Formats: sequence, C-alpha cells, structure tokens
Amino acid sequence: MMDDSVHSPTRREPPAPTLNVNFTLNQQPVSLDVAPNAVLLDVLREQLGLGGTKKGCDHGQCGACTVHVDGQAMNACLRLAAMCEGQHVTTVEGLSREGELHPVQQSFLACDAFQCGYCTPGQMMSATALLNDPRIGSDDAAVKEAMSGNICRCGAYKNILTAIQQARATLADDAASQAGEETP
Amino acid sequence: MRAFDFSRAESVGNAAQHGNAETAFVAGGTTLLDLVKLDVMRPAAVVDINALPLKAVERLADGRLKIGALVTNTDLAHHPEVKRDYPLLSQALLAGASTQLRNMATTAGNLMQRTRCPYFRDVGSACNKRQPGSGCDARDGINRMHALLGGSADCIAVHPSDMCVALAAIGATLTLEGPSGEREVAFADFHRLPGDTPHLEHDLAADELITALTLDAPLAPAGSHYLKLRDRASYEFALASAAAQLKLDGERITEARLALGGVATKPWRASEAEAALAGQPAVLESFERAAEIALRDAQPRAHNAFKVDLAKQAIVRALRDASRAAQRGTDQDDTGQGRTDTQESQA
Amino acid sequence: MNDLNQSTLDQPKVVGQRTPRIDGEFKLTGRAGYTGELSIEGMLYGYPVAATIAHGTLERLELDEALAMPGVVDIFHHANFPRLHRSPNSMGHGDQVSEVRLPFEGERIYYHGQYVALVVAESFAQARAAAQRVVARYRQETGAISSLLDGAHDSHSEGELLKDAGTRRGDPEAAFDGAAVKVDAVYHIAAESHLQMEMHATLAEWRDGGSRLVVHESSQGVFYQRNAMARIFDLAQENIEVISHYIGSGFGNKLFMWPHAVAAAGAARELGRPLKLVLPRPQDMTSGGNRPASRQRLRLGADRDGRLSAVIHDSTTETSLVDRYVDACGSATPSFYACDNLAVSQRILALNHGTPCPMRAPGEVSGIFALETAMDELAVALQMDPVELRLRNYAHKDPESGLPWSSKQLDKCLHSAAERFGWAQRDPGIGAMRDGDEIIGYGMAACTWFAGRQPCQARVELRADGTLFAACGTQDIGTGTYTIVAQTVAELTGVALADIEVKLGETSLPAGPLSGGSMATATTLPAVAAAVRDALGALKEVATGHDGVFAGCDADSLTVAEGTLSDGERSYRFAEVLEAMRLSSVNGQGSSAPGEEKKQYSFRSFGAHFVEVRVDPGISRVRVSRVVSSMDIGRAINPPTARNQVEGGIVMGIGMGLFEKLDYDPRDARLINANVADYIVPVHADIPEIDVELLDYPDFKFNEFGARGVGEIGLTGIAPAISNALYHATGKRYRDLPVTIEALLADHASA
Repeated sequence: MMDDSVHSPTRREPPAPTLNVNFTLNQQPVSLDVAPNAVLLDVLREQLGLGGTKKGCDHGQCGACTVHVDGQAMNACLRLAAMCEGQHVTTVEGLSREGELHPVQQSFLACDAFQCGYCTPGQMMSATALLNDPRIGSDDAAVKEAMSGNICRCGAYKNILTAIQQARATLADDAASQAGEETP
Repeated sequence: MRAFDFSRAESVGNAAQHGNAETAFVAGGTTLLDLVKLDVMRPAAVVDINALPLKAVERLADGRLKIGALVTNTDLAHHPEVKRDYPLLSQALLAGASTQLRNMATTAGNLMQRTRCPYFRDVGSACNKRQPGSGCDARDGINRMHALLGGSADCIAVHPSDMCVALAAIGATLTLEGPSGEREVAFADFHRLPGDTPHLEHDLAADELITALTLDAPLAPAGSHYLKLRDRASYEFALASAAAQLKLDGERITEARLALGGVATKPWRASEAEAALAGQPAVLESFERAAEIALRDAQPRAHNAFKVDLAKQAIVRALRDASRAAQRGTDQDDTGQGRTDTQESQA
Repeated sequence: MNDLNQSTLDQPKVVGQRTPRIDGEFKLTGRAGYTGELSIEGMLYGYPVAATIAHGTLERLELDEALAMPGVVDIFHHANFPRLHRSPNSMGHGDQVSEVRLPFEGERIYYHGQYVALVVAESFAQARAAAQRVVARYRQETGAISSLLDGAHDSHSEGELLKDAGTRRGDPEAAFDGAAVKVDAVYHIAAESHLQMEMHATLAEWRDGGSRLVVHESSQGVFYQRNAMARIFDLAQENIEVISHYIGSGFGNKLFMWPHAVAAAGAARELGRPLKLVLPRPQDMTSGGNRPASRQRLRLGADRDGRLSAVIHDSTTETSLVDRYVDACGSATPSFYACDNLAVSQRILALNHGTPCPMRAPGEVSGIFALETAMDELAVALQMDPVELRLRNYAHKDPESGLPWSSKQLDKCLHSAAERFGWAQRDPGIGAMRDGDEIIGYGMAACTWFAGRQPCQARVELRADGTLFAACGTQDIGTGTYTIVAQTVAELTGVALADIEVKLGETSLPAGPLSGGSMATATTLPAVAAAVRDALGALKEVATGHDGVFAGCDADSLTVAEGTLSDGERSYRFAEVLEAMRLSSVNGQGSSAPGEEKKQYSFRSFGAHFVEVRVDPGISRVRVSRVVSSMDIGRAINPPTARNQVEGGIVMGIGMGLFEKLDYDPRDARLINANVADYIVPVHADIPEIDVELLDYPDFKFNEFGARGVGEIGLTGIAPAISNALYHATGKRYRDLPVTIEALLADHASA
C-alpha cells in the first residue's frame, strides 16, 4: 500500500484568460485564478492536486466525482469552478477531521464497502449527504434509490448499503450521547 | 471544450441584456456543461444566473403555485405544498436523473433540457437538430430510445424530461422576461414539435429568461400516479412513462389528465385519450381504450416498435394506480420519495 | 522445520480471518494515487482524436487551428509519430498486448474510435479543446461488419474455425442422434463493456536522456506491459519500469497493454517531457477492450433418466480486423458434467470493432450461460428438478483429463444454496407463483471457474525498526491482494498487521503474476510465504551466529511466535536480534510455481446460484429480487473481501442478464452507446437481497494455503439462473442476452 498523495503537487499553470474565484474548500478559504470554462472537477484534480475526487465519465453519469457544494451532493464534472464563488465545497479529503476517519469512512472500512476504491469517494460523499438530509427516507429502499447516482462496477453495493446504515446508527448514537452529555 | 466568457448576472434585466444567440445562461449546468464538453453546444459566453432572486415557491390567491425558475429539482420535489397538492410532480421529479443531478438542476433548466438522442450528442453524426440540414442518422439508425409521437422526417428525438411529463398533465404557465418585459406562455405551447425545424425547440427568445413556472390549481380531489418504465430500476431515461390524474365520482371518471414521456418529441398531453376517459367507469377496459387512443398515431421505427406496447402498458397501469389513489381519497402515499420502482407502481 | 511456520497454515490465526483492507484508509481518504491523478513536474497532457468511422481511410488531417490554440505543444499522427516496432505478442514470453497494431501505423481505419491523432498540450482542458478542433477527413467505405449477431453473420458456418481450439471425446454426433431426449438450441450474448470505473490511463516519463522509461499505468499486469514496451521501443527490459499501485479495477481489459500507452510513451519521448493520457470514456469503450458478442449452439442428448449421452458445444465469437482474440466459450464445458461423448468447437469472426479482450470469466461465463440454460431446458423436457439433473450428471472426476478433482464440493453447494433459498417451496408450474401484479420465478444454475497458478517471486525484509516489508510485482486491482499478502506475513511471523508494509505493482519488485483469471491469490501467497521463511532463516542464522543473541544454539531449534525468536527459555524480538548484530534488516526471497500437482489432480472451483425474479407482465418489468449462492473456492484468505468478489460478480451477472449491450450501428459499425448513461449497468436500486456462502474446504492439494481464487466464479452462472427463473415465471425460454424489455413484450404484450 502506498500513500501517493506526495505525487500530486499543486502545479499547473492555468490558461489565459482567467478569472479569480474565491470559495471555501474543505473549510479552508481558497482564492485562485481559473479559466472561465474550467470545470470544478478538473480544477480539484489538476490545479489543486486533490485527486480524491474521481473522474469516471466526465458527464454526470457515474457519480465518482460527487462533492458537497453547500452541503448538497453534486457532480463536480458538471459544474464550472467559476460558479462556486462564495460557496462551501467539500471533497473526500475534507471528510476526515484531525486525522480521524468520519463515521462513514469507518463503516466503509469495517463493512468492506469497496473493492477497487475508485467510486468510493463519490459513494461516501453521497452517503454523508443523504445521512444529513431528513427528506430522504432511512429504509434500505430509500437509501438505494438515493444512492443510485453512484455506480460501483465492482458491485460492492450490498456492503455500501450496510455501511451507510451502520454509519447512520453510529451517528445517531453519537448524537444521542452528545445530547446526553449536554443534559444535566 | 471551447473557451467562453463567464459573467454573473445580478438581476433578471441584467441577464436578459446579455442574452443573444451566442450566450447561454447557466443555472444547474447539468445539460449545458455536458453538451459543451461534447462540443454540441458552443456558447461564446456563459452567464451565471444563480444569484437571481428566483428561488421562491409561493401560493397565489387563485390557488395556483408559482415556482421560481431557480428552485432545484430536489427542493421542488420535497416542497410540502408540492408533495401535498401535486404528488404527481414530486414523483416525476424523483424519478428523474440522480440525487446529485436533482440537487443541481433547476426548474427552468429542466424545462430547457435537451434530447438524449445519441446522434444529437455525437458531432460525428448527422443531426438536423444540432446542425440543420445535415440529416437524421437516428431515423434509420439505432432508434430504440426514439419518439413514436410528434416526430418528423427530420427528427425523432425524444424530449427526455420527467418533470415536464407531469407538468403536461397538471397544466402550467411559464413566465418569461426579456428586454421588452414579461410575458406568459402556456406550458403546452412552450415546447415545439420538430417539424422541419428541429433546432427550434421552444418558445424562448435568446434574450429572454424563464423566471417562473406557475402550476395550474390542483385537480382535486383526484388520484394521480407517475410511472416510469426503463431497463434498470433507477438513474435511466424513460423508455416510456405516463403521468395520470383521475377525478372520480364513485366509480365514474369525471376528469382525466394523461401525459406521456419517453415516446414523444415533446412532453405529450394525450388529450383525446383524456376525453375518451371522461364519463367512463374507472376500470381496466376504459384504461386500455384510452391507451389505444393515445398511441393511435404512433409511428414506430426499426427498434422502437415495442414502445408502442410499453407506453400502453404504462398508461394502463398509471391510470389504474391513479384511480386506486383517487378511491382511497388520497395519494399522499404515492409521493414516491425514496421508493425504488418496485414500490412505485404499488398503489 | 519444527517451528510454527508450516503448521499454522493448517490452523491459521490470521489467514482465513476477517481482516480490514490495509490499503483501505488510503482509498477512503483520497490519498490512494490512481494513475490519472498522478503528476510530475513539467508534465504534458495528451488527448486522443479518434476515428468517427469504422471502415475506410483517413484522407486528411487539418491541424492548423488546433496547433494554434493556447497551450498546444504538438499533435502526433500517422505521418509524424515515430516508427516503432510491434510486440511479438506472446503470452508465453510475457509480452502479450491487447491489440498488436501500433497507434498511428497508417491511414487505414479498422474501427470506430481508432486513434488518428494525439493532441499534446500543457493542460488537460487545452488538450481536449484542441483535439475537438482537429478536423479529420475520411473516405468511408460500405461493408463494415457491425456485429456477429447481425442477421447476415448469424449462422453456424460464419467465421474461421480454429483447428486447435476444440476438444472431442467419444462419438458425440452419433450419441446425439440416438439420444432419447434432446436439446438443440442457439444462444446469443451481446458484446459487453468492462466499464471499469477508472478509465485506462498512462503517465510516461523518459529519464536519463531518454534511455530509461518509467510508466505509471492502470494495469493488471505490469510485467507484460514492461516486456511489450521493451520490444516496441527497442529497449532493454531493465531500462523500463512500469508502476501500478492503485487500479480503478480492470475486469480483464487492463491485463495487457493497449495502443494508448504506446502513444503516450512515444509522444513523451519525442517531446522530452512527461506525458499523461487518460482515455475519455468513449475511447475507453471503443478502443480499450470489450467482451465480444457470442453465438453458441448447444446440443445435449440424454437418456430418459437424464443421464447425458452427448454434449456438442459450438461457439463463434468476435475479433477485430487488427488482432485475433479468441473468447473460448466452450472451455468449461468438457469438465462440467460426466458425459462420454462430447465435442467443443470455436470460431472467430473479424469485424470492425476495437479488439475484444478478456472480460471477467472470459469465455466460460458465456459458455456456462448456454450450457446451464440448455441443462434447464433438458430438465423441463425430462420433467425433472434441475438440481436433480445436475446431481445425476455429477462429474466425480474431471471427465476431460480423467484426473481426480483436488477438492470438489458442488453437491454441497447445490444442497446448501437450495436449502437457504427455499427451493423446495418452488411450485414448478409456469407462472404458478404470484404476488400482486408480479409473477415470481425461481431459477438456478451451477457455475465453475478453473483454478490456475503462475510462477511468482516475492521478497520480504525483517527490519530493525520492528516492521516487516513484503514486495511482489503483482497488482491489487481491488480484490484485496495487499491485505492477503500482509495476512500471510503476519501469519508466519506473528507480527501485527500494522507493522507490515506491502508493496505491489512495480516491475522493480520481484516478478509477480497478472491480476487475472482468479489466479493472483494462489500464485502470490506461496511465494510470499517462501520469502518469509527465507527471511526467518536468515534471521535465525544471524541469531545463532557468533555474537548473536542465540549464539551457539541450533538454528532449527528456534521457534517463531509473536514477532519473536525463542529457544524455549529466552525469546527476543526480531528487532532485538538485528540490533544486537548492528543490522538494519535481513532479506528473504521466495518463489513458487505450479508443479507436479497438475499431473495428479484437476483443479476447479464450483458453485451454485439460486435466483428469484419478479416479472410484472402488465408493465413488462423484470427485477431480480433474491440471489442465494454457495461457492466452493477452497479457503477464503480474507472472507469479507472474497465474499465481496462473489457479490460483485452477482451484480455484474445481473447486468449481463438484463441490461448490458454495446450497440453498434448496423449501417456503419459505429458504437452508439459509448458512455455510462446509455450503456446500462446495475445501480444501487437494482440490487436484490444477496446471500453468499463460502464453503470452507481448503484445497491443500493446490497449494499450502488451500485457496483456489474467487474473482471470476461469482459472475458465472448468474445469467442462466436468471433466464431459467424467467422461464419458470413466463414459460418462455430466453436464449439471448441481455433479456430486454423488447423480448419480454414479445411474450406479454397481451397480458
């Protein structure tokens, strides 16, 4: 196993003309010059060196590039970077906090909810968004429907569903224990 | 992907000023970016309209519901008033695309969605819609996904929207705004048949913007159902879909609304079938007759003849489930949120 | 060998135990670097220009506009790409490629998507923008062959009969003619796309003045690519390194190198800068491999008791005009059932497609669809339970080789899966089981995949910092190879997994096998084990040598446990042994290869799938609602990852059964659905209840780990179980895949 993140420095020169865009990326302010037609996914991967967000189709057909924009799961391949002005963008790199895996990441590991791992960041970004969205039902059928924009060709769907439901339980427990702590 | 200028509109008037044949407005971007990458759409300038104040959903005094152009498909599908009064629309929205795309796509953008015809999407193919006069590779090509209704010698591309099928059944009005002010267009008149100008898809001038969509007052009390048939259970365009609303008096249909998707070049209101249903008992025979009428003018090609039967099946089942919902006196259970299609059809 | 090393594999503590993937955290945090996101200082980006016709000639390339665009560095094509050599394309010599024709060899166009140019620019966006402005003028010709399944080519005599690809025993034709009960049917399977989530990707860098080539490739076989590149670029193998640390899966289309990698490396050399090329999805699908369409005729003859007297399996599959790929559909058939009279033949038909290639369970999955559907047809003809029919023809030894099986538990698979599924509750009447609008159908099929091993080398270091390092040049394509190598090291040393580092996927490491054919586990682990033992031997030598911590002891008397050496009284941690001698590490090497066992036994995994479908005839809808499977795969080294493989195979089988089909326009052989939306694969909402059982019968005749491999078998047998369930529901026999709504409607339009 290798940590290959060192191979992904910030480097690429953007083409002229450019425009400046400011947004919050994984809780850090970012200000950068991008081409007017630069796509968020390419900016993340090639300009910012954040390779966790994957490209599987480049046309909103596979879900591998799913990120959160203002908390909503979106396909980064169909979004201009310039449209993100003032927004909060979260990628898989922003999912874990202070070195600790997010409960969804933990449950994906525990449930073996991936194989090749290429669709996995997108799966987890969709999963975290749906767990935060009270409008989406919590039963298996609702989760499967809501997750259907994330294709896993390895076919780890069963384990992904298990992992999501397990993370739901963990998050509920965490919330309950926090509430318990706050209650005298 | 070609270069373009990018700017942000601060007001509707400001946006409209930018509008010309070379300019594209971007809201969700799910159609635009897709097609720009394919070199199918080639705007010289893109105007981001997301900052415009068009995100409200409001009940009008006459009972209609006015929806801002920038309300996302997700927000609209889950809006309490939509779920309560227009479950058909909620179901149709949730049957479309994926969670991510619904989060991005807007109401106006969905109205402006473009066809999924593979020959339209491939610049190496002949397509009258993309390049007027170049021919239609779909007519004698692989046309499984193509239209049975509303086609012409020049184009048989299907309108891909689910939302619009529900709108065709519900009835709605579009508010358009341009340099000469605001105007309203009936939803039924907004999308054009291809005829010999398939590149002209709708009644929106280049310097106009859709600012709102106003739903007709809900048909009530009624039952409704949106049924989408496709190969896999989710995240696929319709092979055939049907949006049905029925108002019953006991066993008798007093008013029917029926629209079709996946089989027509525009969101397809089956008016004759509706007329044939009125006054009839809400039984299978009536639904089957309506289906026959709705598909009477179907013009199948080599690979889509099966959709004539499939569309009829969609109609019959959607009508049946709408009538069941009407008989229950509610179709709240049918809002379809989080349901796979296995549950979809179970009233 | 008196320590625990040998015996632990009989009673293992780590091997066979649930072990979270050791590379999991990298994949889950975005830190796993797949080829497409790697970056090297000064790197350029390539973007292909692909032929928009499938049959004809490239007449002219208009490049001026593209060359003038911002950031464009150069455009390569047939007139300016360096003249390279072809690879000998030999499996045996390790330089097999997926398509032997080089990129830009000439103006002739053989298939839609064939590369006609490569645009190189400073950024991805610039390269794509310029590629879209390259104008290619073609002279298109009529007569393109679009598919084996087009009516014109759908005949028994179509294609070239391969003389050396068949097998034969007894007198099958006479036996068939004289059989009391017969099945004679033709089966079609559409061409499929691997649609692996990560597209093919190459990052090529020439070093040392162009004398050395380093290639990052999303590859299932780095050594094959290295060797082929050595031939193609006329370099010593030692001067090429191919690296593949993380692979966004492959399913066979990344086993052997494709022309895009040659294009990338050639352009990088010409320009003197590193170059990254990630195939756009359409090119990945037109030009990066597919499972070819197949046409199979199955003839079964049996007596009234259901005993097979004749099996004749004739297959035709597609290949391209630029290479010869054989998808051997009949390869499992000779070993599947006891039958004295059998013939298998194979034909190939060249057409205007990119070259097909192995796709998960290549050949056999297609053949098993035909055979196991035909068996169901035979069961119906005999009015016999299909499970009973399979037991009645049970092959207790390999009918093809005559050798005994090393371990075969198919009977237990059939019984166990049937029991868990509730097969006994099946009402065999057609359409007899209903639930609301839906008809419920039950179907089953047996499945199999051969077990093979390849030669393999590995290296292990015991380090003074207390960690262990294991290296092998095989790859982890998502099956969990990193983790099972670490489990092996942990098993034999008692060192915690957290202290074990595993390195795979580099040609600088000891030569490892392809990640394919379900062979990686059985191939790699014995070599790793040998390397561990060799390293422990080295450590004992050190420990018992002059000044060693066990100076004067007999090395053979020392035992290994929990990362320590012990003489029964004293024990020292490995690190202490090394530090005492001021050593940084000791090194062990190991190798393994298939041996005499192949002469004594036949090796195959077997399994059984039971499938429930729900057919709603009123809306022509089929959904797979339940799958219960039992698999006899030997020992699962890491049960969750092994089960994940089978479950993934089941999902892919649902796609094969109901959705997947590459659509080639019959007029001109252009691929019309080369994207992820129009090529339909299963999504979350399609996933049924899945219950997979892995029987635990370690196959120690195959290797000391008892593992036979598990990547392919889950896919085999699913499609026929679905089609058989559809027969039960509808009374109609579905012999063509995928089973489309069209096919259902033909049956149910009046329902």
